Parts: sequence; structure tokens; C-alpha cells
Amino acid sequence: MGEVIVVTSGKGGVGKTTSTANIGTGLAMLEKKVVLIDTDIGLRNLDVVMGLENRIVYNLVDVIEGNCRIRNALIKDKRYPNLYLLPSAQTRDKTSVNPEQMSKLCDELKEEFDYILMDCPAGIEQGFKNAIAGADRALVVTTPEVSAVRDADRIIGLLEANEVDQTHLIVNRLRMDMVKRGDMMSSEDVCEILAVDLIGVVPDDENIVISTNQGEPLVGSDTMAGRAYMNICRRIVGEDVPFLDLNEKNNIFSKLFGKRRKY
Amino acid sequence: MSTVNNAVMIKGNKYGIIVVLSPDEKFDTLKKLVADKFKESSKFFENAKMAISFEGRNLTNEEQREILDIIEENTDMHIVCVIDNDKEKEELFRKTLEQKLMELENNTGQFYKGILRSGASLEFETSVVIIGDVNNGARVVSKGNIIVLGSLKGTAFAGATGNTNSFVVALDMRPTQIRIADSIARSPDKPIKEASKETKIAFLEDGNIYIEPLNKSVLQDINL
Repeated sequence: MGEVIVVTSGKGGVGKTTSTANIGTGLAMLEKKVVLIDTDIGLRNLDVVMGLENRIVYNLVDVIEGNCRIRNALIKDKRYPNLYLLPSAQTRDKTSVNPEQMSKLCDELKEEFDYILMDCPAGIEQGFKNAIAGADRALVVTTPEVSAVRDADRIIGLLEANEVDQTHLIVNRLRMDMVKRGDMMSSEDVCEILAVDLIGVVPDDENIVISTNQGEPLVGSDTMAGRAYMNICRRIVGEDVPFLDLNEKNNIFSKLFGKRRKY
Repeated sequence: MSTVNNAVMIKGNKYGIIVVLSPDEKFDTLKKLVADKFKESSKFFENAKMAISFEGRNLTNEEQREILDIIEENTDMHIVCVIDNDKEKEELFRKTLEQKLMELENNTGQFYKGILRSGASLEFETSVVIIGDVNNGARVVSKGNIIVLGSLKGTAFAGATGNTNSFVVALDMRPTQIRIADSIARSPDKPIKEASKETKIAFLEDGNIYIEPLNKSVLQDINL
């Protein structure tokens, strides 16, 4: 029996889709059978980040409406044969699907896959309700900014109210240099406000932009973000992995390249 | 006709209804009019429980009982008690009732365990002890006092029905807004960077809300 994990945040632009793509790919690298579902109907982009846009024939709404079978709509990943994507529809909107249908779909996919990752749209409306309907577990993504943390707080409240029992936190785009100067909240500060368990901290890394644009998730590569995402995947699978020491490495990194490369 | 129509009137007040009876009509006519009047409005009252008082005419006990019987016959409502129409007595009842209610709000309380997250809003009839944080964007409303065993970052409204003796206590006091009775205080625009978390109390004095560290002298000033 598989596990349904929803990746959500409330606020937009904090890295839900990037995280979904990287965690999904990472879990596939750990030899799990994984399917990613883009629930952002009308604003799809998980397929772009995965570099699978040109392979889309059928989509989530087609499956829900019975125009095709699930098997037909699933797109196999370029690199990992045990990773699949169920893309969202671009010409429809969130009301094309309801929570009951989503949770039924999740139940069907659970039979076949180890992990079902749902990429949730921003906001708390219909799209959010659809995405969390069948979820066993939630990963809440936030950046260390007050607005993102505020929204994450609201989202955690809504997840609790909807009986999604396990909620873990990913602090994304952390900049250790700013934390040191006292200009940015640390991951500990964020955790204290939200009072949920931290499952990973992803440093702000320009390689993410490069990998996103190329449509190749960087998880597992020898970059800070790549290592951070791999660790998150290990923790999801149940391994006990210590947290990266962002401090030290980032410092050396910025000392060597940071100043020259930036401008 | 108009005199007949006005011979029986039903008015409402805070605690129930007042039946105004004309002193000029015969009692038998009045009885019939009362019956008609209540039959008309029985839908409105449904099975409400309320106190009743009579005005406009001095009734003997016998007459009073007769009218009460008519009312019970024609409607589903329950007359809980008959209040003498006496301004002084009414004032006394009102005062004791309100005082009792206020005491209840301040002296009795309940516990709530959990984190109040953004968007959550809790309202309590009595005082409340919250075991957990009240995050930004959350709201607690109590008719009595609010005590937060955690950090208070959202909005707290104590003494919601106007009790100016109400107070708010938090282990870590950083509220967006505090309201006590009719007064509102908001957080400073520039956050004060404090070295340590400290238990503080917010109370109302001369229409201003003060926030002070919770120490012995402040504790002594608390009125329940």
C-alpha cells in the first residue's frame, strides 16, 4: 500500500513545484515506485520542471472524467523508469475536479505505487481542497519570510482540521549569510513559530534555477540543494539522516566564488 | 375599535415579555382579547421560555392565574416566572443578574489545549486558559480573562461583554492587538527587541490598556 504525500505552502513561489520534482525524483533514485500528480489545474508547470511537457497526451481531468484510463495519462520519466507524472490540464480550472474524485484516484494509485506526491496549488480554495483530499501526509514548504511563514501557519491549521495527521516542514531558500547577520529568520525560528517537525532545510542555490530551466531535477547532484533534497527523501523513507551543516560549507563556497560570481 | 385593539398589548424587554392590559375594559373582554392576541403570535413565540410581567392594570392573584392559563392554552411557550412590575425591584433583579453573570465570566474558566494558528478564532463564555501558542492571525475572545501558557502573537479580546476588570496574561506577550472591554491597544509599529521572554499582564486602567511584567504588586491589584 502506497503513501500519499501532499506538498503545499499556502503562499505561491516558495518552491512547491521544485520540491515536488526533486523529492519525487529522489525517491525514485532510492528505488521506490513514484507518481507525481500536478493538481494545479489551469496553471500546470510540474511537467515543465520535469522536462516532460512535450510528452503530454492525456491529463488529470481526462482521467477524472473517464476520457482515458490512468495508465494512458501517466508519463514515464526520462531518466528513471519507476517515476511517473500525471500532468494537470491547462485549459480547464480547479472546479473540474472535486475532493471525492481526487481521493478515489489516490486510492487507486496507492495499489500500484509506493509514493504518490501531490503538487498543490497556492491558496486555500478548491485546488487546495482537491490536493489534500486523499493525503496521508503533508510536506509544508516555506521560505524564511514572515509572509510565507504566516501562510504556512494557516495551512497547517487547515491540514489539522482536515485530519492530515503527519505534517512536516521544509524551509526553502535559506541564506546562512543573512541569518548570521540577523536579517533572516533561521530554520529554528521558523520551527518555533510553526511548532511542527522539520524534515529538511534547503539553502538558496542558483543551481536550482538552472536545473528548473533545463527540466532536470538536481536532487542527488553535488550541490547544496541537491544534497539537501536527497536527505529529505531519505528521511521520508524513514532513514535517520543528520541535518546538513549549511553554515560551514556555504561559507567556504561564498568565500571562494560568492563575491565574484554574483554580479 | 381602536380602543379594543389597544386594550391588550405585548411588549418585549431583555428578560421576557410585558403584557399591557387596559384598565378600562371589563376583565372578561380582556381575557378574550388576550387569548386572541397570543393565538396570533403563538408561531412567533414557539416554545420559548420566558418571564412575564403585567402592566397597566392591577391584577388580583386570581386574575393573574386566569390570564396565565389562557396564555399557556393558546401557545406552546413556558412562563418561567411572573415579575412584579416594579421599577425598583426590576433594577435590583437586573443588577444581581448582571453581577452574577460577570462573576461567572471572571471566576469560572475553561482550558484549551492546542496551538491557535492563523485564521483560527475561538470564543469563550467564561475565562480561558490556553495551553499553547496563539499565532499571528488567530483570535481569542472571552467574556472574562485570557491566560496564554505560551506566546500570544495574535489578537486577544478579554471582557468582551464590557467587563473592565478583565485581563490578559501571556508567558510571551507579543500580541498584534489586545482589547479589553471597550479599549483597543495595538502593537508598536517598530518591534522592540527584547532580551528575554517574560510573563506579562495586560489590564485596563482609566480607559488605557497597560502591559506590565507580572509581579507581586500587579497580582495584588487584580480584581476578580
